[in-house]
Amino acid sequence: MTLTHPEGTVYGQMGDATVPLRFTDLSAEYQVLRDRAVALDLSGHTLIEIGGPGAVDFAQRVLARDVEYLTSERCMMSLVLDDDGRVVDQVLAFGREDGLLLESSVGAGARLLEHLRAVADEDVEIVDRSADLTVIGLEGPYAWGVVGRLIDGELASLPFEAVSDTVWNDVEIVFARTGFTGEYGYQMIVPIESAADLWNATLEHVTPSGQEALELAMLEVRQPIPRLETTGDVTVIEIGANWLVDVTKDEFVGKEAVLAAFESRQGRRTVGFSGGDTVPEPGARVLAGGEDVGEVVFAVRSVGLGTTLGLARVEAGLAAAGLELTVEGADVTTLTSPYIVPKSWSIPII
Amino acid sequence: MTVDELRAKAAERRQTCSQIKKMIVSRLDLEVDPDWITDDQPLFGRGLELDSLDVLELYVAIEAEFGVALYDSEMAVFGSISRLADEVDPHLRAGA
Repeated sequence: MTLTHPEGTVYGQMGDATVPLRFTDLSAEYQVLRDRAVALDLSGHTLIEIGGPGAVDFAQRVLARDVEYLTSERCMMSLVLDDDGRVVDQVLAFGREDGLLLESSVGAGARLLEHLRAVADEDVEIVDRSADLTVIGLEGPYAWGVVGRLIDGELASLPFEAVSDTVWNDVEIVFARTGFTGEYGYQMIVPIESAADLWNATLEHVTPSGQEALELAMLEVRQPIPRLETTGDVTVIEIGANWLVDVTKDEFVGKEAVLAAFESRQGRRTVGFSGGDTVPEPGARVLAGGEDVGEVVFAVRSVGLGTTLGLARVEAGLAAAGLELTVEGADVTTLTSPYIVPKSWSIPII
Repeated sequence: MTVDELRAKAAERRQTCSQIKKMIVSRLDLEVDPDWITDDQPLFGRGLELDSLDVLELYVAIEAEFGVALYDSEMAVFGSISRLADEVDPHLRAGA
């Protein structure tokens, strides 16, 4: 744990990472994220450097989206798949002068690293940078204002997925406009030895938000949460993460399996739902007109909606918004994404 | 509702979503198979990565295809294909 957190912070284990679930109260942290801006300790995301003469060709082969022309001023979210088309992880890929830097999803670093090393070519160097780099995030409709006060207002208006190598307090950092929640989002990749200083400086402008509030806000805009959505024997098509795969690309690991799953038109599909007073466990049965048609992927209590919000994986013919279904005796309604409209969509950066 | 009635209702939405996807792919000359786009897929920023010029094109296309003018709508109507379906065919919404 690189960053210092207030007394009373509640931690949880997610994959290979121990992360702050909440610093004070989920509801309060969520509300600040949606209304103003929060700081995010993303040290549970592992940074992996892909270098060597074959770096770009290798990345092009292991990432499901096209990164051939990913310059050092851009980043891109992509899935990493295995040969069977199953999701290994969802990464943020940063173009670098001498290769790429991959940022894993929370707690998935060890699994991703193992996969990359297993499929690596001889002319590729894969280096775990988690001992010397970490990630701090900012997210919220006014996160751009924090960037201005903390570093430089010019950075706040970078286009989505633009990257800038910049300097904060004499420390070289990688700054990127990203976002997981539909709100304005930024990430700062910082050397470990300076991370505490940058974190503390950030907290002079905003309060922190834990993983629980972040994941709730991600769910609300249907941003995939790999640790919760890729469990079990599910395909990309069943997860509904097609947009993180570029099937027009010539080749990548898992492409044939993904195309086969797509063309078969078989399997289940994922749809959001809300309703009910209790939060069903993953695997809880979903009924339509009294018939078992699928199961709950995961669900939480939504602060914004004031009810249960979750994802269900149901037969493809019923994966549509606006249907009345039943989960553990409670009436639920399937939803149109996004389930909460981010405030950032109506607030310009000034 | 019976499960068959629910399937029929879902099919109605899928048909509208499918029409929207084909319209977007055709109007914006995208390389992707329309069926590859999911109903929940975001259209701007992440997802289909459309930009503000694409929005203008879509306003015109939606009015021509569905007879619905969205020029004064908030960006939320482009939150996903399914959200756009609610706008061009309001009776698809839950409870409608």
